[in-house]
Amino acid sequence: MTRPVGATSVPTHCPYCALQCAQSLRPAGVAADNGTGPTTVEVHGRDFPTNRGGLCQKGWTSAAVLESPERLTTPLVRDPGGRLVETSWDAALDLVAGQLLRIRAEDGPDAVAVFGGGGLTNEKAYQLGKFARVALGTANIDYNGRFCMSSAAAAANRSLGVDRGLPFPLTDLAAADAVLLLGSNLAETMPPSVAHLSGVRERGGLVVVDPRRSATADLTEDGRGLHLQPVPGTDLVVLLALVHVLLTEHLVDAAYLDERTEGLEEVRRRCALWWPERAEQVCGVPADDLRAAARLLAAASPSRGGRGAFVLTGRGVEQSRQGTATVSAAINLALVLGLPGRVGSGYGAITGQGNGQGGREHGQKSDQLPGYRMIDDPAAREHVAGVWGVDPASLPGRGRPAVELLDSLGTEGGPRALFVHGSNLRVSAPNGHHVAARLDALDLLVVCDFVPSETALLADVVLPVTQWAEEEGTMTSLEGRILRRRKAIDPPAGVRSELWVWAQLAARLGAQGVWDTDPGLVFDELARASRGGRADYSGVSHARLDREDDSAAVWWPCPAPAPGESEHPGTPRLFLDRFPTPSGRARMVATDHLGPADDLRPEAPLYLVTGRVLQHYQSGAQTRRVDPLASAFRGPYAELHPLLAARLGVVEGQRVRLATSRGAVSVPARVTDTIRPDTVFVPFHWGGTDSINRLTTDATDPLSGMPEFKVCAVDVTAASRHSPAPHLVGSRPDGSSAPRNPLEVKA
Amino acid sequence: MTRLVVIGNGMVGARFVEDVLSADTAGRYDVTVIGSEGCEPYNRVLLSEVVAGKHDFSALTLPTPDSPRLTVLRGTHAVRLDREDRHVETADGARVRYDRLVLATGSDARVPGLTGLRNREGLTSGVHALRTIDDAREIVAATLNARRAVVLGAGVLGMEAACGLARRGVAVTVVHPAAALMERQLDEDASRVVESAMTGLGIDQRVGRGAVEALVAHGRLTGLLLDDGEVVPAELLVLATGTVPSTALAADAGLAVDRGVVVGDDLSSPTDHRVAALGDCAQPPEGGSGLVAQGWEQSRRLAARLCSPALSATFASGSAKAVPDRDPTSNVSDVVRLKAHGLDVVTMGVCGSQRTDDPAQRTLHLSDPDLGRHVEVVVSGGLLVGATCVGAGPVAAELVTTYTRRTPVPSDPAHLLISALTPQPRGATGSVADLPDDATVCRCNGVSKAAIVSCVHDGAATVDQVAAGTRATTGCGGCVDDVCALLAAVSTPAPGEPTDSPTTSRPREDDVTKGKHMIHSAETAGS
Repeated sequence: MTRPVGATSVPTHCPYCALQCAQSLRPAGVAADNGTGPTTVEVHGRDFPTNRGGLCQKGWTSAAVLESPERLTTPLVRDPGGRLVETSWDAALDLVAGQLLRIRAEDGPDAVAVFGGGGLTNEKAYQLGKFARVALGTANIDYNGRFCMSSAAAAANRSLGVDRGLPFPLTDLAAADAVLLLGSNLAETMPPSVAHLSGVRERGGLVVVDPRRSATADLTEDGRGLHLQPVPGTDLVVLLALVHVLLTEHLVDAAYLDERTEGLEEVRRRCALWWPERAEQVCGVPADDLRAAARLLAAASPSRGGRGAFVLTGRGVEQSRQGTATVSAAINLALVLGLPGRVGSGYGAITGQGNGQGGREHGQKSDQLPGYRMIDDPAAREHVAGVWGVDPASLPGRGRPAVELLDSLGTEGGPRALFVHGSNLRVSAPNGHHVAARLDALDLLVVCDFVPSETALLADVVLPVTQWAEEEGTMTSLEGRILRRRKAIDPPAGVRSELWVWAQLAARLGAQGVWDTDPGLVFDELARASRGGRADYSGVSHARLDREDDSAAVWWPCPAPAPGESEHPGTPRLFLDRFPTPSGRARMVATDHLGPADDLRPEAPLYLVTGRVLQHYQSGAQTRRVDPLASAFRGPYAELHPLLAARLGVVEGQRVRLATSRGAVSVPARVTDTIRPDTVFVPFHWGGTDSINRLTTDATDPLSGMPEFKVCAVDVTAASRHSPAPHLVGSRPDGSSAPRNPLEVKA
Repeated sequence: MTRLVVIGNGMVGARFVEDVLSADTAGRYDVTVIGSEGCEPYNRVLLSEVVAGKHDFSALTLPTPDSPRLTVLRGTHAVRLDREDRHVETADGARVRYDRLVLATGSDARVPGLTGLRNREGLTSGVHALRTIDDAREIVAATLNARRAVVLGAGVLGMEAACGLARRGVAVTVVHPAAALMERQLDEDASRVVESAMTGLGIDQRVGRGAVEALVAHGRLTGLLLDDGEVVPAELLVLATGTVPSTALAADAGLAVDRGVVVGDDLSSPTDHRVAALGDCAQPPEGGSGLVAQGWEQSRRLAARLCSPALSATFASGSAKAVPDRDPTSNVSDVVRLKAHGLDVVTMGVCGSQRTDDPAQRTLHLSDPDLGRHVEVVVSGGLLVGATCVGAGPVAAELVTTYTRRTPVPSDPAHLLISALTPQPRGATGSVADLPDDATVCRCNGVSKAAIVSCVHDGAATVDQVAAGTRATTGCGGCVDDVCALLAAVSTPAPGEPTDSPTTSRPREDDVTKGKHMIHSAETAGS
């Protein structure tokens, strides 16, 4: 059934997660209309090393968001009656600019804040950082990647000298003897990536650490590996115990530790306190299982004759107030095994958002300028200011990280205006009631989006912008590979690119510098700004990415060649010779377990864990608008162990009330033995009264600013006796009760 | 600056130094720690692992904070405490002044008053306690020549030492006067199960029998005479007969001393509010457990109290009545977990001889001696208040979690006796053909078995054609085998059943795209 793709087929990548599966988009009119409605684009899987032509249900149905009847196509402003009403672009931009000038005059430039997103293209992420620092002059910019990759980034920068999610091609996993996945459910969050685990599973080497027996943990069944099921919030203890076993049983790569690392002694001492029997008491994983996992990893490591091993972290272990410490411990584990910087082995963080990698490199973070430069480094300021054509002294300093920024909105001395781009923070930020109150306290909330997200609905001004198949740009995938996003169709009339929006506002604000609206030109500027930085894109251009076959898409760093030299080929694998630290060695950082900020107590005797389902992406603003995805899960649910359900007197589908000290929600129960009896799980993709982030804590990691989404104490009670949730009937993905194929719902 | 002096640089003393320096963000204290051992602090709990040959000494060293506010005096004893003048005198003649003093002097091995155990210099050749790193070294050295060893006392340490020696190939006999091994933790039923596991490890036991004399010839140990007249020959005797809190310094200084240094809930001495004690040397109101977890918990509390802003006031008034919160969720102090190869013993709370006749308590057992398994749980007020686990595997880890975090127990506590987390086999042996129609075959695309069967009925004959019609297999590819099996099962017609001709298996366009928005094939599929 191979279908030749016509000349008008556009090679691009999926709009959703960081795997960035390759797709071909064929605009309607080329293929026959199949009669199911106005679809403008056909989606095809396209061969690429990461997805091998595969897509998950989200990718296959991605074109539906282009056609959503709720698509925003006109600027909206809130009228005196509180309703959002249509207006012209000029009127909307004049209004925004006027308010900005007034607020800035009254309270200074930091009174305007910016919240970006990890789904924005590199060009937009870059331009947004520049817009904040140059046009607005504010220090207060941060982005939703703070909720995503910040702990992994902080730890990798500290220990390895640079943060590239996977410092090796994803395809390297295939040949390894062991892969340790910590807090990642990639079978649901990026299904096509699972294919790369088939080799390691055949060899029995997949080790999954997750409090739930997730779809990913299930991949370890039948002798394919091990599943360790710790108490929520104790992943760090698992890691400390694994390192303890490796050190005490002399299973480490001593030569590697000697030549390529520093700081081992402190780590050794810290881990001396975490013998497996003690760790068992805290993390609930049997001591023998900890030893077995450590020995399995050791046997796979190159120094012991194995084919290689990988240690990979995900949000499950990172979204914690000790997320940075946990990732540091994971890196320590990889280092004692001698993995980073060896072909066929390594440590990596599995990036989540579509451009979660690029989004954290180009200056959206409160403390960074493009190219991963630190904003308080004078040399970095001078370089970037030069590219921007401004005085280095005019650049603001460090701003507040996301949770702190949101917490300060509308407070005395805090920002009075906020721009939101590529984020639905009303749903995705922790302690949701509090966030809503802070947004309410703003004088001006401007949201750029393509659908009326929960955050957009709170805005004073909503600006309709382009999405995915309507725009050109680049995305940097979880591998650190720079991929081209290409335009397949024209956006609806009335929709503008954010690059255009910022250029317009910059002009109205009288900003210095050049404000290109052509993504190719913006990329060229980004490349110059990144030159010499840790994430160096200076040897890359749209033309180069378009010239080469996609299979040769470039891994950064890819510096511009010196005159007379040939083009840099890009860097698929980092650290082969040295680590980009001052000493050239990887730094082992000793860490210790602190435990959850909001731990169990008699009034809240269970753990709440939040996460994702296959059919939805992030806050669900896109995927809830795609019928087959929405009908698979119409709302959140709480996974309860049968023993817990029995104690509460709750049956499948019955509503349960979950309450923390921050809020309460009522959701239907899903009874399953895949979860610990002391833990409930709820996915977070919904807004309003279905938003589980009303319950989560905004306690943050002191180093990364990451909120502790993954664990808090909750009380669970039966909400009522007679209200089976309609949306659960017939929608179980494992097919155990009356499900139907969501794809056929519309048929 | 307040001078804080800590006597004792063991597991609790060293931890307290760390805790107080990190809690003291205001930089209020200058800390001096006095440790009698010449080495850096080490993990005493793992000494039995050294005896077992599983660890070397280098793996035991504990963290020492690197702080300009810390002075470490190593290899010297505190010999006298002058509470009037507020100074500590050390063996090398130094005087260390303090404003506040913390005693973390630990405990010493108890040496029973048996004939033959001691000679003029100390312990008879061949007799060893197991308390310090030097003891462990000597025992390891002794195993090079000793063929037979006796461990006197079958508490936690004795059990671990016995297993460790057995692991080194020494023939071991455990002698224990009480009716049950680890009688504080185990009742007789549980002990019998452990005894049989020990026999399986080649360890002999004499339970319920005491020793009366250590037999010595030419200055060396030759065996142990038991109270029933039996002589157990041995070249090595390890004393694991308990510990005695090291209180001499405190007692000489006139501090209240009972079994340990008496302290209140705030860990201060009632005699002198400037002096606190923690760890094995202390006797808090709830009693000392002898477990390091209790000492660490005390360390955390005392550090928090000494560094709390409110302290200065109470300290000045001398009332020192501010009782710090005990961590309400932490029950971890009395969990006992044996570290011994081949012996899986975990106890907590109400167990063994620590049982009370509380009518509110409900006790449930699972007794499975043939498998070496014995599980007992004690439940009260909807919470787990005690458990005894022998050979219980992962159940023990689950019970520890339930106990330490005080999570509610199931409505029928009998469920506590087996694992709630053991995966149920989910039709691993069953064929996809046996699954119900509504079972999901392709997770990535939410495709049910019925949808695939229907696609095959509509003419799909290959995986690619099923993929084109349903998108099954186009995500992670993990369901390819199941789809192949369905193709084989469905396309093989039952006798007499009409079917489409295989030659027409290529689906018509409207079949492929029925009910769908888009074309579904991966371009590379089938190429």
